[in-house]
Amino acid sequence: MTEWHVAEDILTDQSPAKRSVNFVTVLAAVILAGMALIFGLGLRHQQQTQPTEGMAPLFTLKTLDGQEIALESLRGKVVVLNFWASWCAPCRDEAAELEAAWQQYKDKGVVFLGVAYTDTERNAQAYLKEFGITYPNGLDYKTKISALYRIEGVPETFIIDRNGHISEFAMAPLKRTQLSAMIERALAKGTQP
Amino acid sequence: MKSLLRIALGLVVIVTALSAVQLSVHAQDNPRRPVTDDEVNAVSKKLYCPVCENITLDTCGTLACAQWREEVRILLSEGKTPEQVIENFVARFGDRVVGTPVDPTLRALSLVTPWLLSTLVLLSAAAIFIRWRKESAAAPKASAAQPSVQVTTHTLEEYRARIEADLAARR
Repeated sequence: MTEWHVAEDILTDQSPAKRSVNFVTVLAAVILAGMALIFGLGLRHQQQTQPTEGMAPLFTLKTLDGQEIALESLRGKVVVLNFWASWCAPCRDEAAELEAAWQQYKDKGVVFLGVAYTDTERNAQAYLKEFGITYPNGLDYKTKISALYRIEGVPETFIIDRNGHISEFAMAPLKRTQLSAMIERALAKGTQP
Repeated sequence: MKSLLRIALGLVVIVTALSAVQLSVHAQDNPRRPVTDDEVNAVSKKLYCPVCENITLDTCGTLACAQWREEVRILLSEGKTPEQVIENFVARFGDRVVGTPVDPTLRALSLVTPWLLSTLVLLSAAAIFIRWRKESAAAPKASAAQPSVQVTTHTLEEYRARIEADLAARR
């Protein structure tokens, strides 16, 4: 009888403390697991690179002359989407090539869109004027478009076919011949019924 | 001769007056104030390079940073406060310019982690406090339990004494 009393005392003295310690341990484990999960997802997200196939992420570009062009509205046309910046030296190498290709294809169902990445309006305008670029260009406000396309730098160019799928992707300054070949391949794909 | 001098003087006065008016109009069109490098750097210190990792604008040597610093200078010269300049950059280039991760998951992690850790610390502290309170409350109980131990001891002595007595009776 006495022994039972002693055992009950031990139980009543230690159980709540044990319970609270266990609660904290479980809570800490849950929080740490949650953080690890979020971190893991973040790492996975970070490891994702530019889309090279599938539907091109949709966006609306506000051009420097005030137009708003939605990618969706260009369905049925091949779109050359070029990311550039006025501070980017390789972009300068391809600027004239892009304009020449635009002049070649502008009446053949091809649309060129330039997206100025982390650029100021003043510098972007000066750049466009310097290279005599006539196709629509706009600033990437809050870097939303570049985030959608997960660009890693500039220049980067995506060729989007008539169905809105990414046809090709280039992560380097392009020559007119390269660009023409890419556009021709996209044009050859035609449209899906 | 005198009339010639008067005409010349009059012309000088008119030209001077016109130049002054033109200068004041120009100043109103372009109300910029000179901005020192220190002022630009003070703001640039709070902004991050658009193309490098974790480098603030004031220490970055890329052309992109140079252009952004120039943009900071222009905005300051237009009379914007450092806070307004930073807000302007965030509005145009997103949260990344102030060092917040662009990746939504990492951004969530960076925002949630301090709160989670604080919660964990607070809960741990509360648990330790509750445990300490329980232990303090249990201490008098233990001292109150001592008589029961005495009773136990007493009972055992009685039991022994009875056994001894029984054994003695058998002998």
